[in-house]
Amino acid sequence: MIPQLVDALQRQEGVHDWLLRRMQKKSTQYYVIGRQTENRRTVHSEEIVVTVMNDHRASKEGQALVRGEAQVTLLPADGPQLKHRLSQAVFMAGLADNPLYGLPGPVSYPRVQLADAEMQKGPGEVAEHLVQQLLETLAQENGVRLSSAEVFIEENEITLQNSRGASGSQVSTSLLLDFVLLATGDMDEMEAQIAFRRRRAADLDVPALARRQAQYARDALRARPPQTGTFPVVVSDEALTELLMSEGYSPLILRSSAQLKYQGLTTWETGKTILTEEPTGDPFTMYANGLLPFGTASGRFDSEGLPGQRTLVVEQGVLSRFWATQRYADYLQIPATGQFGNMEVNPGAAAFEELFAGPGPLYHIVAFSAMSPDPITGNFVGEIRLGYEMHQGQCQPIRGGSISGNLFAALASAQLCQETAFLGDYFGPRAIRFPRITVAGE
Amino acid sequence: MDVQHLPPELAASAGNLGQLVAIMEGRVPYASALLKRDSGLQVTINNREQQVTEVRPRQGLVLTVWNGAWFEEAASAILTAEHMQELARELAHSVQIFPASTLVDPGPPSQAHFATACASDPAILSPKEKLDMCRDLHNKARQLDQRIVNVVVRYHETKESKAFVNRAKELSQNVLRLRLTLQVFVSDGQQVQYDWSTKEGTGGLELIQFTDQELRELCDNAISLLSAARVPPGMYQVVCTSDVSGVIAHEAFGHGVEMDMFLKGRARSEQYLGKPIASPLVSLVDDPSYATGHGSYFFDDEGQLSAPTYIIRQGIFERGISDLFSAHSLAVPRSANGRRESFERKIYTRMSNTFFARGETPVQALIEGVEHGVYLSKTSSGMEDPKGWGMQVTSHYGEEIAHGRLTGQRYGQVGITGYVPDILQSIDAVGDDFALTGGTCGKGHKEWVPVSSGGPHLRLKARLG
Repeated sequence: MIPQLVDALQRQEGVHDWLLRRMQKKSTQYYVIGRQTENRRTVHSEEIVVTVMNDHRASKEGQALVRGEAQVTLLPADGPQLKHRLSQAVFMAGLADNPLYGLPGPVSYPRVQLADAEMQKGPGEVAEHLVQQLLETLAQENGVRLSSAEVFIEENEITLQNSRGASGSQVSTSLLLDFVLLATGDMDEMEAQIAFRRRRAADLDVPALARRQAQYARDALRARPPQTGTFPVVVSDEALTELLMSEGYSPLILRSSAQLKYQGLTTWETGKTILTEEPTGDPFTMYANGLLPFGTASGRFDSEGLPGQRTLVVEQGVLSRFWATQRYADYLQIPATGQFGNMEVNPGAAAFEELFAGPGPLYHIVAFSAMSPDPITGNFVGEIRLGYEMHQGQCQPIRGGSISGNLFAALASAQLCQETAFLGDYFGPRAIRFPRITVAGE
Repeated sequence: MDVQHLPPELAASAGNLGQLVAIMEGRVPYASALLKRDSGLQVTINNREQQVTEVRPRQGLVLTVWNGAWFEEAASAILTAEHMQELARELAHSVQIFPASTLVDPGPPSQAHFATACASDPAILSPKEKLDMCRDLHNKARQLDQRIVNVVVRYHETKESKAFVNRAKELSQNVLRLRLTLQVFVSDGQQVQYDWSTKEGTGGLELIQFTDQELRELCDNAISLLSAARVPPGMYQVVCTSDVSGVIAHEAFGHGVEMDMFLKGRARSEQYLGKPIASPLVSLVDDPSYATGHGSYFFDDEGQLSAPTYIIRQGIFERGISDLFSAHSLAVPRSANGRRESFERKIYTRMSNTFFARGETPVQALIEGVEHGVYLSKTSSGMEDPKGWGMQVTSHYGEEIAHGRLTGQRYGQVGITGYVPDILQSIDAVGDDFALTGGTCGKGHKEWVPVSSGGPHLRLKARLG
């Protein structure tokens, strides 16, 4: 369908630039409750997302040439409607008056490792093997059983083409493993839930993760609320990625974006600190990395056709550059870096164990209920799903209560550990110690 | 099936669903077929950009078979008659049948088409007129104060169409959801703060009108956050608006009574069935049939017709909500809460419009009864914990109450935590007002469906931080 579509776009009156992305997905889904299958699904989907740009005079009299864009998504049955659908897109694009901007031109795309051959070859077998690994591991764990598990294995193929000559394709795989463990105590039951996203199965050590989660579930049975006050807090692993990444709405990512700069929603300036307190901790350095091998946000190209790149965004607490898609790079007249991709943070000098130094009390948070720092202000508050209170050599599990603060203030005094972790779309220190965090507890 | 009311993209395929069910039931004890299409229009304006574009459509077929022990499904975006029949044959013949199985009840026979009623159909406006409507609102809002650095207006219109067939039912529906969101960003040069307001629901343009006073209040709220403090952590007497009450209903308790959680052993609420769980002042309802609710629909994705479910009545936990698999497995009555994000995803038990029932206390009296506490206005996030029953709800801001009066001292981003039964038992007054707030709900961190939650103002005790 793509040749006909390209031909139609080139013939369509009012299309001054265009971009198309054909996306095909094969998904295998396996759901288990306890040791029993709950559901099995196979899904096939395909679509072509077409973006058209229309240049016209602004609706206000005497205004300059402006550009509008609109998207239409062509589904498999839409072939006969092609011309009509493109006309709709041109009409909608013609309504919006935005300053002119361009699209990326032709470029040789980098090779990036994105697909797991084993998952491509036998997705159902991989899904069953992962669940089997879980069950075999849990059979050795006292007082813990599998509540439920979900495995999604997908193969995605994207073909991109735009009117400036950019053209490429990529095949990637993705894996979601979501499982819940239940621990049974004398009087109570508690759970530990976790979801992992990766591009290849080999990046998940399922037995080790199952053992860790089993311990968390058991510890939740004897957890009590934390104290109230200001304490050193260490946040590690998946909890740390929630704090830094926040499921796509990270203040670190959004406030360093050219789009928010253009819209006046970030006060950050290149060459100036992003920290709101005097830096006393480890230097914070962050890259936007679209090339991380098997990173879940890696790609040969972004959604406009810019090549995958690794960009230094924050260096030692100072904004080095805004990451920018082509449109906002044009608006701010800065280099286009493409979409953010994965977050890469430089590790610190201290060993993981050194983060816990001192008599305490110190809190180590391993799971939040949800941690979503405000994307504009950086303020955060998150309920503690599970953590540990370290005090005078003792370690007591805690849950309930919350920690709160501001991410840009907290990072100023943060100590980053030297051990790194690859957690799907994050590569960096596996734990960070914040010396003074407000804890709301008993 | 009478397909004339469905959008043309579905109409041709919908007529074949009965045949697909017959093909599959040639081998399996129960089968159903669901066609879904979501499509719409979106308009976005901010101070520097504007866009009119379609909402990315999602359209596909889901074939479901019961093998005697579990469901298996095949889903596809390709809707040609030949492909759909081949998919049905392949699915029916690929499953392992468990002969000593229990039977799935297809429900009482019914044939019907449903459509959202609206006083002012958005179809009467062209895309340009919708853009102009947003421009007018944007222009009004951006002129309210010099500290405004950006105003974002988002209009979102979605038509959700589906057709469901099993051997007893032929149902179809068109549900129209509208949402208009206004975000105001302000800055003092050092920081940026913001507030937002959303009007939404199932219905027409009559649902999404802003008054000048509402715009003024929105702007004032955003500006007040420039000088907001952090709330000192501790236990407080709290008065919640309907927005915050609703998220407590939804996140703190609602997710824990989704009965697929019972099957997984994840619901602590199971131990409280038929027992007191909340203050006697409290009743809690999930109602997909609630007129104009953002989470409303006429039947769920398994063909169950919508009706209200009383979850808590006068403090007693009466029953949970269910999908077909959980109701069948637990041998409990079904409710119309079997929902899927799209044809690409599985059914789960999901809430619709979930709310506390209205009480009798005037809102002003709720505040006057607080010696020292916090008035919590607007929820920015929430998360469920059905097993541990810890509660996390984040309010975008709050305001101090002292000696029965609001003091004007704003608190930015307030976390509300506590043990759910303690919080529900602590409710000592329920307001005589009522409102619903629409949104999108995930199961864990995925599976997004439109919902609403709300109720009246509540007065309760909670830990803030």
